[in-house]
Amino acid sequence: MEIDLSPEDFEFRQEVRDFLKENTAKPGADYSQWRLDYFKKAAAKGGWDVPKWPVEFGGPGWSPTQHYIWEQETVTASLPWDMPFGIGMLAPILMNYGSKEQIDRFLPDIRERSVNWCQGYSEPGAGSDLASLKTKAVLSDDGTHYTVTGTKVWTTMAHMADWMFCLTRTDDTGIKQEGITFLLIPMKQDGIEVTPIITLGGAHSVNMVHITDVKVPVENRIGEEGKGWTYAKGLLQHERTGLAGISRSIVALENLKRQAQSVSRGNRTLMDDPAFKSKVAELEIDLLAVEFTELRSLAAAASGDDPGPESSILKLKGTEIQQRIQKLTVEAGGIYSAAWGVPVGHKFARSGMQGYLGGRANTIYGGASEVQKDVIAKNVLGLKRS
Amino acid sequence: MNFDISEEQQLLQQSVERFVNENYDLATRRKLVDSPQGYSDDNWSQMAELGWLALPFDESDGGFGGNQIDTMIVMEQFGRGLVVEPYFANIVLGGGILKRSSNDELKTSLLPGIITGDVRLTLAHAEEQSRFDLDDVVTTAREDGDHYVLNGKKSMVPNAATATHVIVSARTGGGQRDKDGIALLLIDSGDLDGNHFPTVDGGRASELSLDNVRVPAERIIGDFNLLATAAHDAVLALSAEALGCMEVLYKSTVDYTQEREQFDHPLSDFQVVQHRMVDMFMEYEQCKSLLYRATLEAVQDAPTAARTSHALKHLIGKSASFIGENAVQLHGGMGMTEELAIGHYFKRLLVIESQFGNTDYHLTQFAD
Repeated sequence: MEIDLSPEDFEFRQEVRDFLKENTAKPGADYSQWRLDYFKKAAAKGGWDVPKWPVEFGGPGWSPTQHYIWEQETVTASLPWDMPFGIGMLAPILMNYGSKEQIDRFLPDIRERSVNWCQGYSEPGAGSDLASLKTKAVLSDDGTHYTVTGTKVWTTMAHMADWMFCLTRTDDTGIKQEGITFLLIPMKQDGIEVTPIITLGGAHSVNMVHITDVKVPVENRIGEEGKGWTYAKGLLQHERTGLAGISRSIVALENLKRQAQSVSRGNRTLMDDPAFKSKVAELEIDLLAVEFTELRSLAAAASGDDPGPESSILKLKGTEIQQRIQKLTVEAGGIYSAAWGVPVGHKFARSGMQGYLGGRANTIYGGASEVQKDVIAKNVLGLKRS
Repeated sequence: MNFDISEEQQLLQQSVERFVNENYDLATRRKLVDSPQGYSDDNWSQMAELGWLALPFDESDGGFGGNQIDTMIVMEQFGRGLVVEPYFANIVLGGGILKRSSNDELKTSLLPGIITGDVRLTLAHAEEQSRFDLDDVVTTAREDGDHYVLNGKKSMVPNAATATHVIVSARTGGGQRDKDGIALLLIDSGDLDGNHFPTVDGGRASELSLDNVRVPAERIIGDFNLLATAAHDAVLALSAEALGCMEVLYKSTVDYTQEREQFDHPLSDFQVVQHRMVDMFMEYEQCKSLLYRATLEAVQDAPTAARTSHALKHLIGKSASFIGENAVQLHGGMGMTEELAIGHYFKRLLVIESQFGNTDYHLTQFAD
């Protein structure tokens, strides 16, 4: 066991810092162009635009330590916005199960960030129990296309997306995990209707998507008909570890401390308040532990082992920590946390409340915490339920 | 021992319940919240006609001589309906201070208008550095002949934009955190500069600036003790309102989990969900008990009354957070939407947590 950075790791860290300093210090006047340019420059570094992709698809082939360094350095840098749907979610499925034609057709645009994807999984009747989804896809008699009809919900950024990767039902006679087919559907066409859902924080990021008699060519099907669940399942696990957001929480906790220091409490600051201070300290202790849980999981993945039991707790612990930080931020905001949409009093209070409200979704999406615990009980502890 | 409310109080409860049922479906409330004023003049007039605006005032002043139990009854129902009319700011805070004031002239001139709803008061006590401490006041009231000249800033003043008068706490002497030297003065709202904005729960609040505001000396309503009593009443009233919100939240969750099916079962079949809701229910019942205890102690003016009110607001804060967060969690994605009522109750509870001391503040007050 050792955790010290090697001289090469220090060199790598410096290289990352130099790169970020040069390319993210300030966005150009034309933001979208600057964004696309950034990813081009990152690509030119040898896959820095797709750190998690395998080498054969253009990834950088970093060691776990290098990934860790990248994560640490980028979390405080102002990287251009990026969505996980293409890069992190669809791409691995394409690489594993897509045809050569599909890989050639879709992967380059995903990598360039020139095409936006959204994920068509959840439905009004299929949330935690995703496999009970009902969006119907019927193959035409001549076998050239599917006709898709159904409703997807909580579809993040559907209103910005060019394409959706979508789980559909092609067979409802057997067990529900079978008979699910993975289709790629263009969003900008008749028969696709995107309705915004405004969430508690007042934000519009999720949508309801109604799909009515949309024709999808069979070339847009990933893998075999009826095997979509298997393809999506591996990805869900991947999505869940990615949702832990531990580096972001470390930064958020530092921000929280600074904010609490700016709030007066009697003749000192809120950060000197024993009750508040001990809550911050408890959070910090949990973060120290979970940061290493993530590293253990990274190291196991790099050595080619199955993700160990430790990786199963990352989403649960990570999102719980996020919510605790958000809650303490609201607490620090005090009376001003009640103000809505205007900057009054403590400057951080406005976004603090928005973050707290929006963050309630963190323990719901990507597998609700209650379901995650069922999975751990069954798969890790080997428990049965009557 | 008897925890039943009187026949008169039952009638009051039924009357407020009926008002809420008839006027406060979510869509109607949404329209009120989105309107410039943030509440309905018609509802306000109706409250005056029903006598609710006269509730806490002495019969000799034209009121109904109600006590904290009556206010609890009203506020609990308001909580169940998420009522947005400024009853709390006007009647509980403003009215509560005025009715206990020894300034009889002010009382005589203002109370009739309050009871008809034409005079609307609010209380401006908080300042940026004060957080929840009522005695931390830097706004100054300098004596100048038969006037006081006020300078300073007041924060998160509820419903100030629609108030005709604002009661302001200001320092006539003493250091920043001295209880002595704090006066409550009544100011015409026209004399104040205000930045008015909505609150998270759809209510209204303001930041107020006092820039050499001249107030006649006869407009002094009282001192720090009056402010502390008002805060005590405020804690009871807000706790009652919170209890109404919590009841709706836990009951809606019990209903929803029986309707919503996943994995071929209603969610309520799962033991983890059942136990969570049992916990929500227990928290609610504990809050109800402590609300009764604190309210009765206040009515009896028991020596422990203030301390019990700290215990109450602490428990309410903790339980509101638990019930609110779990109501959202167990409603899943739907709980996250503006469309369902759940989120609106949750947001009201969050604002109550920020008013008159949060969970930690009252724990410290209780322990000290």
